[in-house]
Amino acid sequence: MALLEVRDVDAGYGQGPDILKGLSLEVEAGRSYCIIGPNGAGKSTLLKVISGLLPPRSGEVAFRDVPFNGARPDQILAAGICFVPQDQAVFAEMSVRENLTMGAYLVRDRSVIKERMDRVFELFPILAERASLDGGKLSGGQQQMLALGRALMIDPEVLMLDEPSLGLAPQIADQIFTTIRGLEELGITIVMVEQNAVRGLELAEWGVVLDLGIVRFQGPADTILADSRIRELYLGKAVDTKDAS
Amino acid sequence: MTEIIQVTIFGLLLGGVYALFASGLTLAFGVMRIVNLAHAVFIVAAAYVAFFAFDILGIDPLLAVIFIMPIFFIIGVGVYIALFTRIEGSARYVEMTVLLTFGIAIMIEGLLGWRFTGIFRQAAPGYLTDAFFIGDFLVPTGQFFAAMLSLVLLIGLWAFLRFTRTGYGIRATMQNRAAAQLVGVNVRRVAAISFGISAALAGASGALMSYLFPFFPFRHWQWIALLLALVVLGGMGSLKGAVVGALILGVASSLVVDRIGPGWGPMTFYAALFLILLVRPRGLFGKEVAA
Repeated sequence: MALLEVRDVDAGYGQGPDILKGLSLEVEAGRSYCIIGPNGAGKSTLLKVISGLLPPRSGEVAFRDVPFNGARPDQILAAGICFVPQDQAVFAEMSVRENLTMGAYLVRDRSVIKERMDRVFELFPILAERASLDGGKLSGGQQQMLALGRALMIDPEVLMLDEPSLGLAPQIADQIFTTIRGLEELGITIVMVEQNAVRGLELAEWGVVLDLGIVRFQGPADTILADSRIRELYLGKAVDTKDAS
Repeated sequence: MTEIIQVTIFGLLLGGVYALFASGLTLAFGVMRIVNLAHAVFIVAAAYVAFFAFDILGIDPLLAVIFIMPIFFIIGVGVYIALFTRIEGSARYVEMTVLLTFGIAIMIEGLLGWRFTGIFRQAAPGYLTDAFFIGDFLVPTGQFFAAMLSLVLLIGLWAFLRFTRTGYGIRATMQNRAAAQLVGVNVRRVAAISFGISAALAGASGALMSYLFPFFPFRHWQWIALLLALVVLGGMGSLKGAVVGALILGVASSLVVDRIGPGWGPMTFYAALFLILLVRPRGLFGKEVAA
């Protein structure tokens, strides 16, 4: 049985057309996934549907075989699925420490909160240094670290990341990727959307290619990286520059 | 110089009360993006409650706050659940709240006019006409009490937002609704509670209005115009902005009344609003409006 199951989901925004068109996907426990595909394929939309931010028009999402049936985002989080969205994820007018405290909003035990915050500070020492600074005053990379750190405060079973390296300087992106690898090793199931497809696939165990609202192809990440057809269609430029270097 | 200090004292006392009047309005906008045109009619309705509690039962308006606030909290939560959850998903949500609260305002105004007629009311507790001196300066007792109660309630509100778990949830929702949902805040519950608090603050404001400012049902339009000016001046949705804006305008209008004449008092608000929108469209403490 898959840990997380997306079954025949149609979803879209407002009165707009369906972005996801009968999409199905199974996520196994403890495996890391990288979702790739062209712009508009529905990658972010899929994560929004799973997190409960966007209710599907039809179909369902089930966690441990229990369908969500219109559960709210806070209920889905309480079940163990945490989503770090692409941009503006932090609370700009709360300090770094308050942001992390918010991450543990569903945790009532203060000693647990303290313990996890120490762990996040250990992982990202820069956040400890700036603990009293407002989230909005951090650099883009530090905000991304804060968003990631805040997600760890809930100790999720499934962590969904939307473009964790978007707009970051290469060294900072490296640090984020190293952290994600560390989380994988801790046994957290990772589902990530990454615009740097090659990088994402190198990190993940399983690759999922999305196009036009459905899963076109999925398989072990190294198989996808090696598949010349997929490279040509979906990895395009990223591969060329890599090959050239 | 002495006169200016005296007028400033009057202005600060007035501004403190305005700050309380505006706090609920700015909270509703900050958390739920509700432009609550009915906020002042809530205040006037509460003023009627306080007035009759004083007139019939002899309960002091300042004490009446103790039961008016919980009653209005419950009414606020009820109104939110009954009416606002219906328009939650609307693409034109903010515009819808304007129309909805406009309708609520007219309805409550009509009910008040029907029950209590359009005559002016004002509760007259013993301290209404009292005053005392601090050094050379005259301090009207009733206004002093009102300003102190406002101060206590605003500090209470600040502490609630700053230190309680629900307060964290409210602030998080104000700053970033999607992120708040993603860290586990039930934003619908937070919104209902916030609207309840907003209505409770209107309730306390009404208790003060009952003896400070003569009122009748139709008066709320004048108040909502003034309060919106205040809230826009401070920055929509910013509590700090509402308080600072209220104090500045309280003092400014007192000075204008003293120097130029009583008829010019209300002008101060709209002139200040006009100026601030020219120079700094997001208000003193408002967030940059996303393009």
